[in-house]
Amino acid sequence: MSTLYNRSSRLSRSNESDRQLTGLFLAAYEKWLGESGRTISGVALAAVGGYGRGELCPGSDLDILILHNGQFAAESLLGFVNALLYPIWDGATASSEVPRSLDHSVRTRNETRMAAHSDLKVAMGLLDIRLICGDATLVAAVQHDAIDDWHKDAQKRLPNLRAMLEHRHERAGELAFLLEPDLKEARGGLRDITALRAIAKTGVIDVALERINRADQVLSDIREALHGESKRFRDRLLFQEQDKVASALGYTDADEMMGAVAQSARDVDYLMTLTWHRFTHRGKDGLGRILRRPRTTMVARDISVAHHEVIIDIDAPFDDDPLLGLRAAKTAAQLGLPLSLDSCLLLSRSIKDGHGDIPNPWPRQAREDLVSLIGAGSAMVQVWEALDQEEIITRWLPEWAAVRSLPQRNVMHRHTVDRHMVETAVHAAAFTRSVHRPDLLLVAALFHDIGKGAGEDHSGRGARLIEPLARRIGFSEVDVETLRLLVHQHLLLSSTATRRDLGDPATIAAVLAIVPDLETLELLHALTVADGEATGSGAWSDWKATLVGDLVHRVRAAMSGSIVAQQPELNAEQRGFAEVGALRVNVAARESDYEIEIIAPDKPGLLSIIAGVLNLARLDVRSARTKSHGASAVMQWIVTLDPHAPIPTAAKLHRDIDGALHGQIDLDAKIRARMQTYARLPSIPVPPPRVEVFHQASMDSTVFEVRSHDRPGLLFHIGDAITRCRVDIRSTIVTTLGAEAIDTLYVTEIAGGSLTPARAEEVASRLTAMLG
Amino acid sequence: MKLVTAILKPFKLDDVKNALQAHGITGMTVSEASGFGRQGGHTEVYRGAEYTVDLIPKIRLEILVDDDDADSVIGVVVKAASTGSIGDGKVWSTPVDQVVRVRTGERGVDAI
Repeated sequence: MSTLYNRSSRLSRSNESDRQLTGLFLAAYEKWLGESGRTISGVALAAVGGYGRGELCPGSDLDILILHNGQFAAESLLGFVNALLYPIWDGATASSEVPRSLDHSVRTRNETRMAAHSDLKVAMGLLDIRLICGDATLVAAVQHDAIDDWHKDAQKRLPNLRAMLEHRHERAGELAFLLEPDLKEARGGLRDITALRAIAKTGVIDVALERINRADQVLSDIREALHGESKRFRDRLLFQEQDKVASALGYTDADEMMGAVAQSARDVDYLMTLTWHRFTHRGKDGLGRILRRPRTTMVARDISVAHHEVIIDIDAPFDDDPLLGLRAAKTAAQLGLPLSLDSCLLLSRSIKDGHGDIPNPWPRQAREDLVSLIGAGSAMVQVWEALDQEEIITRWLPEWAAVRSLPQRNVMHRHTVDRHMVETAVHAAAFTRSVHRPDLLLVAALFHDIGKGAGEDHSGRGARLIEPLARRIGFSEVDVETLRLLVHQHLLLSSTATRRDLGDPATIAAVLAIVPDLETLELLHALTVADGEATGSGAWSDWKATLVGDLVHRVRAAMSGSIVAQQPELNAEQRGFAEVGALRVNVAARESDYEIEIIAPDKPGLLSIIAGVLNLARLDVRSARTKSHGASAVMQWIVTLDPHAPIPTAAKLHRDIDGALHGQIDLDAKIRARMQTYARLPSIPVPPPRVEVFHQASMDSTVFEVRSHDRPGLLFHIGDAITRCRVDIRSTIVTTLGAEAIDTLYVTEIAGGSLTPARAEEVASRLTAMLG
Repeated sequence: MKLVTAILKPFKLDDVKNALQAHGITGMTVSEASGFGRQGGHTEVYRGAEYTVDLIPKIRLEILVDDDDADSVIGVVVKAASTGSIGDGKVWSTPVDQVVRVRTGERGVDAI
């Protein structure tokens, strides 16, 4: 890297300015205030702000403070100040290195203190005060006041500082993602670094400043080079300057430099977010030190919430539990809380030490946790960012490294490639009710541009990269093929809708030749909209949405088939026992969950009774397939254990189900009590649930499809709502994908036969009301 | 000078753009537009359920030309944009008093 623009060139500019100002100060002092040869007293010249830190760019202001003891005659003081400043304004200094833009003030110690009291920017500038020339005791006293007051007033001033920063961020945008960012003013920029230093000096909270040393250096070097190369002393890094600046600093090209800017800004922003979080939720002693044991709530195995952060328990088995990190991340995102920095560090260290590598292929639980993490909407961004900062994401998903902070010099885009994909996943989370496979939608959204950055068609390259990645995450071959198609064809609908004649049957035929079924079409549609929305208003508008919607309608009309889940088939043994009409429970442990088979005498409300018993046994239903046969219902459940659950046994479950079937347990009351415990945990906004009715999907039943964010007791309440309508559930297919539940219910009248449209509407309304 | 404005089907943009470039036109403004003409909105039937598209997405093209070129440019646009079916759009021209190229300050035909 070039040595033209760096810390020492800025320091040398600062030292040169000191020398010039010292010469001017001494001459002015001799002429107006003192006698030659006597020790200077009662007046001093100090540098504040960036100049105080010795960080002087060619276009920086010389921030100076002329301190005096208030005992000089006004006329002499005026003459002294003019003699000191005019040569700089006139450009009459001996060195062209000295900036001509001055930001000065003339004050006594008391006046300085008052000014700092009423103006936050003055107070912060004084934190970096240093003597240039003159009475050192005056400067030392002002420095003492500044730091002392900053400590004392921190509780009051930090909220004001936060408001000031937020106002500025709103105006200047995000440094990491803007194409022509302001290096100083934008979020994650140099002013934020100064603010973080000031926050650290309050002593109220710990600020890990060492994490942003590199970012400070990168951004300061680029700002200095921008001033030096453009000769225009602005801090906005325009397209036209980027190549020159990158070359002057020894970057391969502007893309590499903008990548470094993005990474630095993210480092700064991450620390800032974390710092405010810690400030808001610090201990109640007023100093931020935890004087008493924090209240922790266990929310998953080895994972708790404390001080509004999700923490991994200190004695968690990092070495033996490779899914710990994903579980913690998913839990944090689904609760809308940050993952604590300490936990991220512990996790990162453990992974770097070679522990906790997720097996290949990932177990189902790991895949579900990843889907739940990325399906949490905007709440996932802070968690993802924290994991990315600690390089945990690239350990789990090495393909991510190639797009990390990769700039897109394209006027359509607002974000770097990686952030664009995260934003697409955030938008996709709003469409999880519109598709039958929300897990595939979310994973495709997160990786749809993974092929960018290699100079070839990114869709084709992305399709090649997603295949092994999806296989490693543990998707089936059928799902891998769907993901490959989604990534490969993620631009198909928008390009066809805007460039082909939608009235021409050949256009529809061309799409049909690529998109095999309704399920893939709805996934591709949702991905197209999420991608467009995440890209920005330049790439997506109501105009385009109408065209794409029109295309999808036409293609859908030309497709046949149904996407409703089909009723399960029973084997001969199950059918045989079902005809007996007795209760039988089998439990089999699998790799990361339990398979429970229940054959029970059929009766109205059976689904909700069994779901209720499983819920009270602290078993989390991941999927289920039930079907009535003869006098019984045959049910196969896949469940996981919540952190407090004992290992399920067939005998215990048999006893509990038997009791519930005979009305010996008040399931409703017990489940309501359990719900109240869960209700105390924070939650995130999720799309509204959706209930859809299919009259033609079955010969003898009406099919209800319920899509909702998963929550404890969901199936119990769905079953209960349906039973209250005095109808019968013939068959159920329950699927949980990440945090999304899709329940398909085949329902008949008690006496048999499909429901009339009016009855179906009544059941759907009751279900919707219950879910709302 | 004249301003030629065309409202076209979106998928015809590439054809019209290529035809105009071949005709020697070097600049144009393209924007997204929505509207309806004689065909009104249209009704689609999707699985038995009708839905009405009130405003149909179109492309709006604007080209500044010398008076003498207006007719031939309109001809090029019409030829390239025609599918023969309803909703192909419209092209019209309007007189323009003055044109200034912002960068150089050139005026009139020189600024086109």
